[in-house]
Amino acid sequence: MNPMIRVEHLTKTFSLNSRQRKELGTTDTTVTAVDNLSFSCEPGRVHALLGPNGAGKTTTLRMLSTIFQPTSGTILIDGIDAVKDSQEARRHIGFLTGSAGLYARLTPNELIEYFGKLYDVPKEILLERKEKLFSLLDMHDFQNKRIGKLSTGMKQKVSICRTMIHDPQVVIFDEPTSGLDVITAENIIHLINDCKSQGKTVIFSSHIMSEVDLLCDDISIIYQGKLLFNDTMDAFRNQMQAPNLTSEFIRIVQQSKNVAL
Amino acid sequence: MIWTIFKKELKDTLRDRRTVMMMIVIPTLIFPIILNVFVGISAGFEKEAAEKKVKIGLCSTQTSRLEQELMQLPKELGKKQFIPMSDTTKVMEAIHSDSIQIGLYIPANVKEYLAKKEAIPVVIYYDATEMGMKERAETYLNYISEKLRKERLIELKIDERKLIPISMNYRNVASDKEMIGKLAGGILPYIFIAFGFLGCMYPAIDLFTGEKERGTIETLLTTPVARWKLLVGKMGVVILSGLTASTFSILGLFFSIEVLHVVESKELLDIIHGILTPGFIALLYCLLFPLIVFFAGIMIPIAVRAKSFKEAQSIISPLNILIVLPAMVGFFPGVELNTITALIPVVNIVLATKELIAGTLEWPLILLAFATMCALATLMVVISYRKFGDEKNVVN
Repeated sequence: MNPMIRVEHLTKTFSLNSRQRKELGTTDTTVTAVDNLSFSCEPGRVHALLGPNGAGKTTTLRMLSTIFQPTSGTILIDGIDAVKDSQEARRHIGFLTGSAGLYARLTPNELIEYFGKLYDVPKEILLERKEKLFSLLDMHDFQNKRIGKLSTGMKQKVSICRTMIHDPQVVIFDEPTSGLDVITAENIIHLINDCKSQGKTVIFSSHIMSEVDLLCDDISIIYQGKLLFNDTMDAFRNQMQAPNLTSEFIRIVQQSKNVAL
Repeated sequence: MIWTIFKKELKDTLRDRRTVMMMIVIPTLIFPIILNVFVGISAGFEKEAAEKKVKIGLCSTQTSRLEQELMQLPKELGKKQFIPMSDTTKVMEAIHSDSIQIGLYIPANVKEYLAKKEAIPVVIYYDATEMGMKERAETYLNYISEKLRKERLIELKIDERKLIPISMNYRNVASDKEMIGKLAGGILPYIFIAFGFLGCMYPAIDLFTGEKERGTIETLLTTPVARWKLLVGKMGVVILSGLTASTFSILGLFFSIEVLHVVESKELLDIIHGILTPGFIALLYCLLFPLIVFFAGIMIPIAVRAKSFKEAQSIISPLNILIVLPAMVGFFPGVELNTITALIPVVNIVLATKELIAGTLEWPLILLAFATMCALATLMVVISYRKFGDEKNVVN
């Protein structure tokens, strides 16, 4: 099967100003957030990007979603070069973060229509898809209320609807359950499973091992921007030296730390 | 696509109470309130000053002609009460304690001065911080002085007209419209500029820094819309907000004149109506449009770079003074549009608008001012585009 996402030798460096150098206690003028990362994601599979805070997960996902330009390396989304033709690549991507990222002064109805238009979804298809998603997520009751007045769970439903309104082939989740209660997080878990069953390619970043265990088919562990492990979940389980997934994740990261020292 | 973004941003902006206050409510109400308060207070002061009984300390022998004339001053010159005082030290103390407002020292030998037809040296004591008291003393003494001068001329058998070697006859060639334009014409562009800037401020911060702070910019940037289109859509709303605030401030001024009748003089009203023609308003907007774009172009890079609403506000608010101060140049009657002032942003538009109001248009200079502002506005749009395109700035 051809991978839907192919990442090769992806590197991202940021320049540091004097204040940032002082904060990081370094004299270097640049910092490498992502260092020569290569992996691929296939349709109908969920790929987890796992790493501790500051490992480079969000930077990687921001490059995949074309918010950031890589310093070097290539990203292919459904065969489209996401670096050279970022606008076209974005049509195939849905992006969701834990912080809902919604316009509080708009209603769910207005917001979904706005994003549908931004994705150039034809009017009839937009209305049909909106109705379907609103029914699926049980959003009709609050579709005309201002988003700012909705509960966190309702907001997350709006966020899911916004992500899926253009029926993307690739769905990127950046720590989607971070800061959410269990019931709200459950909506996200459902969404990821639905995407998988619809044959979509899902990539999501997390540092919660139980979530990864529950959802993922493939796993990439990154630490300090470098790829430490990249294989299927089954392969990960088979090579485990620690008693459980969390301990194994910590062991791999710790091992990398020791090598670096 | 730009239209879709513009409509959404406009809807979002109009639902923000803070922006609506700055864009519509305050600009509309500020002039009716200020002018009413100002007119009310100044009328009150005038009435109070006219009715106020001035206590005048009189330090003299109180027997000469001058004292008699003072006692017989006509009532129309204002209410007064003379209080005899023994010496000038007491006069000064009394003025300080406000028990009298004016003190007059009249020498004892007034009769001699009158006989010799010499000037009587009267000393006037007053407190310069008490408005109008010096003028009141001058009014009284000038009245008596004029009366005595006429008597002397009769006594000396001199025809007054023979003492005037040159008769000066003035002919003002400036029309009333020109007079208003040059002397008071600075107020209109000042209002427009001040409110245009304030009107741009909140939407600029909300649509750029606010998006960053709320985390909505990330989702917006993952849509297949070119960044320049996002910028133009958002910038359009910032510019429209600036123009709306300016327009409402002018409407507020117009409301004060037409409905609240703060201008009572019919002649002045006719001149104002003569100035506010559709052609004038169209030209005014032509001049002010690039200026508002320039303002938006200054604010957007700051708002894009700032990490929080507070940070953006703390940079843009002081900038307000820097931008609006040059607009005060319009208040100085001597400063005119020339090849140098036409190149100075803000100042050029203020002076060009003054010329427009006065009807003394010099098209090459107006075009130079307009072209300068268009060039600067374009430059600021390019800078805004670069900043908005810089990934370091758009995501926190």
